[in-house]
Amino acid sequence: MNQLHSFQAVPSTRNAFDAYSTLPEPPRPQSTHAPRAHTQQPIVTGTSVLGIKYEGGVMLAADNLASYGSLARFKDIQRLHPLGDNTCLAVAGDMSDFQYMTKLLDATLRADRSVSLTDTHPPFSPQNIYTYLSNLYYARRSKVNPLWNAILVGGWDKEKKESFLAYVDLLGTTYSAPTLATGIGAHIAQPLLREAYEAKAGVDGKGPLLTGQEAEELLDTCMKVLFYRDARSLNKYQIATISNDGVKISDSKSSETEWGFAEGLRGYGPQTQ
Amino acid sequence: MALFAPPPMYADPTMAADKQHAFNPYSENGGSILAIAGADFTVIAGDTRQSEGYSIQTRYARKVWQLTDRCVIATNGFAADGNNFVKRIKQRLEWYEHAHQKQMSIKAIARLTQTMLYGNRFFPYFAYVILGGIDEDGTGAVYSFDPIGSYEREACRAAGAAQSLIQPFLDNQIYFRNQTPAPGAEPFVPGRLPLSTVLGLVIDSFTSATEREIAVGDGLELYVVMKKGRTTDDLVGSDNLIKNMQVQELGALGEGGSERTFLVSLPLKRD
Amino acid sequence: MGSPMEYNGGSVVAMVGKDCVAIATDLRLGQQSIGVAYNFDKVVAVNDKLYYGLPGLATDVYSLREHLRFRVNMYRMKEEREITPKTFTHLVSSSLYEKRFGPWFIEPVVAGLPQPTELDPHPKPFISTMDTIGCITTPKDFAVAGTAADKLYGAAEGLWEPDLEPDDLFETISQTLLNAVDRDCLSGWGAIVHVITQDKVVTRRLRSRMD
Repeated sequence: MNQLHSFQAVPSTRNAFDAYSTLPEPPRPQSTHAPRAHTQQPIVTGTSVLGIKYEGGVMLAADNLASYGSLARFKDIQRLHPLGDNTCLAVAGDMSDFQYMTKLLDATLRADRSVSLTDTHPPFSPQNIYTYLSNLYYARRSKVNPLWNAILVGGWDKEKKESFLAYVDLLGTTYSAPTLATGIGAHIAQPLLREAYEAKAGVDGKGPLLTGQEAEELLDTCMKVLFYRDARSLNKYQIATISNDGVKISDSKSSETEWGFAEGLRGYGPQTQ
Repeated sequence: MALFAPPPMYADPTMAADKQHAFNPYSENGGSILAIAGADFTVIAGDTRQSEGYSIQTRYARKVWQLTDRCVIATNGFAADGNNFVKRIKQRLEWYEHAHQKQMSIKAIARLTQTMLYGNRFFPYFAYVILGGIDEDGTGAVYSFDPIGSYEREACRAAGAAQSLIQPFLDNQIYFRNQTPAPGAEPFVPGRLPLSTVLGLVIDSFTSATEREIAVGDGLELYVVMKKGRTTDDLVGSDNLIKNMQVQELGALGEGGSERTFLVSLPLKRD
Repeated sequence: MGSPMEYNGGSVVAMVGKDCVAIATDLRLGQQSIGVAYNFDKVVAVNDKLYYGLPGLATDVYSLREHLRFRVNMYRMKEEREITPKTFTHLVSSSLYEKRFGPWFIEPVVAGLPQPTELDPHPKPFISTMDTIGCITTPKDFAVAGTAADKLYGAAEGLWEPDLEPDDLFETISQTLLNAVDRDCLSGWGAIVHVITQDKVVTRRLRSRMD
């Protein structure tokens, strides 16, 4: 009988600690024979971030929410982090890993700045910072102790006079493209970003890029669409603009939304007919 | 009924402690690579799409890199592992050059690749590797590896998402499998096809793969390594260019060897 | 036990040519990795203008073949004419869909030349294929199915071209099948190719690698 009791055909996703499955990934039992791993799971998380190249540089967007599972826990978190004069990060995933990583990078940049008082060498380019991050994230995944983030690095390379936009995540996966989006944004916003980008620049990207205003309006649209469909998003977000003039991070703003259509919906929620 | 009901989870103190989220350190980023050896050249190619599941991460990510004047490497599988493997191999080649005042031969790079892959036997690089180039005799060479270092020299090899589509085609067209020479004709010898034929086969292979395999597409990068002194007319001659094809010569990386490497790029379908 | 679709192994391919069609199959019957027979023909003639192949679970090959023989005979008696490739495709499809929630583990391939009629004196060669529950596709070029399907796609995509004459179509479909099954552990062990034209059917047995 006791054998029967301990057998469960369908593993329960609930336990006393997390009775309502609010944590992002309900913990699952693991073999006790496996070697001890430092694995973890994200706890306080930020949802998708977006990035796009425009004619004078790069723009990044991230909302101000840090969720604890399905709980909208912190509603005034800045997920855009400037580094130096012409690089900015937009970070999704675990917020404590994000803060740890920025602390590490800020210290590195600070150390470099103090050296540069006596030794003249060029400041870190966006590519330098991106390579550092890629190596950090790949090294941590290779220790099976990842930093649980997906990051967009946006920048303006002052030497080459060109914009920089690239992605790195918890696996150490890296790539670059003129428009980028992480997480659910890769499914919902990325098609909109690509469509608008290619409408002007063409599929080969050789045509003119979006203007700053067009890019910002496009990001506004994408953040609005994400707010409508991403249950872990907040209608309060910021946009970082990285250009030759440096990094500018906007005040928090929100989209105009229209929920009148919800009244007419049938088949969901409490209404009976 | 209560007798048969499972006990509540919190009644079992071992459960909570056991529980952990399993982190999977690997991913699969699609795409395909391919190499074909000729008598005095080798072609190494890869598409430029990088994907995860049904999402295209980028339409341009490199899978093929020039290592030396006579060796090119292509990797496929988990992109992060592939990139970092190439980074490490390039570092080892630089050290070799500093120590020996010459570039490593493709044969030695192949053995180095095996050692480095097998060095990670118990936490493998999830990367299928193909090396292509010119060997010490001046003939085209292709070496292919599995993720833990088994390797073999061949006349041609396809790997990646479209391996199963491309390899049978190559068996037929490069190894002449299931073909017999006409009575009185010369016997077939693999690895002796002219460059123009090989280029055609590589491009056909990738356009075919793009048609039927969703993880392949966007663009094709094709490296041609040529033996020293060999004519380049069959590549750079204007009548050999197909539509939208671009050819660019990559400068020498070292001294002495006068092998020449060309990068041919052309678009593939993006759907 | 693995997937029923891979239990016995085997592959079929069909191709369209100029006023002709071809259909070919390997001859292997296996039980997972063990080869059991090298005379397992998966292609059947409905009449001298219409052939179909049934790669998949061998037991279902027999059942479905008998089922279709019965249905075609009934059609012939009631209609007093031969069934067209298109109608036959829909017959196979509905037979498969009848078992929607407990399917035949078969992916049929049909190849035929429709009879010229007064309305349509120059009918186009016809091929079609279905999934296990009868979803039809009617390609203009070639249709593949079985355990070597991905290899067949690659080979066919590289070798096939439009408007092949019967002899060239034979060569193309033979090379496609042989080179594909040579890379598939579960297919091979000989092959049979049928090339259907308006005045005759040429059937050839191919020798191939037996490993």
